[in-house]
Amino acid sequence: MLRPLLLIAAILALAVGVLGADYAFGQATLVATYAIAGLGLVIIVGQAGQITLGQGALVALGAYTETLLAMRGVPPVLSVPAAMALGAAGGALASLPARRLGGLYFAMSTLAFALIVEEMLVRWTALTRGGAGLSVPTMTWGGLRVDAPLEQMVVSLAALLLAWLACRRLLAGRSGRAWRAVREDEIAAAEACGIDVAATKLRAFAIGGGLAGLGGALYTHWIGFISPEQFGLMFSFELLMLVFIGGARHLSGALWGALVVVSLPQVIALLRDVLPGQWSRSAGLETVLFGAVIVAVVLLRPQGLAAEARAGQTQVRKGNRD
Amino acid sequence: MSFSRFILGCALAMSTAFALAATPGVSDREIVLGSIQDLSGPAAMLGSPVRDGMLLRLEEANAAGGVHGRKLRMVIEDTGYDPKRAVLATRKLLDRDQVFAFLANFGTPVVMATMPLIVDAGRLHLFPFSPHESTYSPLHPLKFQIFAPYQSYMDAATRHMVQSRGYKRTCLLYQDDDYGLEVLKGVEAGMARLGQSLVEKTSYKRGATDFSSQIARLRGADCDFVVLATVVRETIAAMSEARKTGWMVDMMVTASGYSAQTHELGGAAVEGLYGVSVLPHPYAEGANSALADWIKRYRKRFGVDPNVWSAMGYSIADLFVQGANAAGRELTVERFVSALEQLKTTRDFFGSPEYRFSHDDHLGNRYGRLAQIRDGRWVILSDYLK
Repeated sequence: MLRPLLLIAAILALAVGVLGADYAFGQATLVATYAIAGLGLVIIVGQAGQITLGQGALVALGAYTETLLAMRGVPPVLSVPAAMALGAAGGALASLPARRLGGLYFAMSTLAFALIVEEMLVRWTALTRGGAGLSVPTMTWGGLRVDAPLEQMVVSLAALLLAWLACRRLLAGRSGRAWRAVREDEIAAAEACGIDVAATKLRAFAIGGGLAGLGGALYTHWIGFISPEQFGLMFSFELLMLVFIGGARHLSGALWGALVVVSLPQVIALLRDVLPGQWSRSAGLETVLFGAVIVAVVLLRPQGLAAEARAGQTQVRKGNRD
Repeated sequence: MSFSRFILGCALAMSTAFALAATPGVSDREIVLGSIQDLSGPAAMLGSPVRDGMLLRLEEANAAGGVHGRKLRMVIEDTGYDPKRAVLATRKLLDRDQVFAFLANFGTPVVMATMPLIVDAGRLHLFPFSPHESTYSPLHPLKFQIFAPYQSYMDAATRHMVQSRGYKRTCLLYQDDDYGLEVLKGVEAGMARLGQSLVEKTSYKRGATDFSSQIARLRGADCDFVVLATVVRETIAAMSEARKTGWMVDMMVTASGYSAQTHELGGAAVEGLYGVSVLPHPYAEGANSALADWIKRYRKRFGVDPNVWSAMGYSIADLFVQGANAAGRELTVERFVSALEQLKTTRDFFGSPEYRFSHDDHLGNRYGRLAQIRDGRWVILSDYLK
């Protein structure tokens, strides 16, 4: 636990020195927010072994719930848990086909769930204003307004820390063992031990959905404007990519992945500024370099950045918990 | 010189130096500008020419000695139409590059996510590519817009078409997002002012390629005029579907479909399509000498032909150069705002509208012109419709 914290502090200090305070804090805010949503995927994909292609929709549920409640003056102490609850409910709903479907077929059903949610957000214009989107008020509680980059970073990192501790506790307990049993073999490892496979999967999706809802609730305030198109399939794939790059079986994989997905394009943008004129003009240069880095990560560290960092350590004994 | 005058002179010089030092992006040598573009996402085909048009104008201004001796430098960030990347890119431009103003930021989600950061930091938010009303209303000293809102010019264009051609059954096909809804409001307002209403309206989801059900529905309503709130690909698909089924109804598309790509890709199917233009397409054939020269310079610089988006980018940068020149050597945000509010542009070689801002109104143009595709190119049919 200490090592990741020290690593975060070191990276942040370096970023502040190189980038300037607000820019660095802005990056840290979004890295932490994406990492929270990523933790949900670590549980669903890395621990319970289920492929989901609709995590973006669960983030959307959290983001819209938080926005609609904040617009009506509900304080975050109530609205954020509500956003998590709706994300969890969405996750539980999305997991129901898992009772009958498995593998890619179940993944397809999560894809369908994401499409339904996106369509609902577009069509329910009386509530969501459809494609016109919603402007999000600043996060406010009592006299406190979370609008400066430093404050946003503190809130995001605090939420990430709490989520991380909760996940760590879950993975070390009965739930974590049940998820890993389902992941390894539903019949031989899980059912033979008396584990209710369907309920275990549902729990993983509900907790993963709750974390996605929390990520969405924070994301909406930091971005300040939401529309259904932001939470399309590309966003779901981006989250999935995040956990595979970081290491789906480790909680720290969510942080590593978020760091790559959020900050790498920015690092590339900074490097591009020092390239000669014609190079810096090339359209999509960041995208090409980003793609190249992703391919390199997948080739060199197929189990993700977090897994490589722990290679040779006590992974098996600790059950790939963190 | 008396001692008191000397002190006064020193104080004035120091305060001027302090004011200049306190204006981010403005140094003795240069003015730094920022722009957030989509160069790799879904609107990259539009973002790249916008960027090139702006760069060309700034390079020309620099070659002519800059603005009051200062060179203009633009830092462009690619967001891929992603608000998250846009927020980070904005922070980079604000903190690291210390830009004086943001020009032509691209796309509603991107603009809506970044505009509060920009104006809160006290920087100018100039002429973004977004139909959202909040880019100019309510009035904010740092926000300026030149692109006529869909609602305003589609109201005038629909009225003009219905009145001059006597259509009795007007219908609408629209994209179900903020763009489509803005057009819907404008068309409905125009019809209401004529004492009529839309006979039928139907929507499609962004990215749709099959319009058979929508066209069948509009044809079933016996429409004699269809307004299209579509972009290039959807315009071609909708019109091709209508023509394929033998329905030769008149159609009119918004400025989003007013693009050379519409007739280049659509061919015979889009012949006769009406469109609304806020800036004419820069065709080389039949161009006036100034325009022909500009096209030549653009080709030489970027190796491709310019399009209407290049012209828009160039116009935006030109407007900035005019404003900065008018603001004088002691450039501050306040001076620039004041200069822009008093600026009176004239029709340029593109045929752009005359932009007018004031202390109470930061939307520089509300009007569009009617055009039609004839013999495979857009032909302007009217002046700016009011």
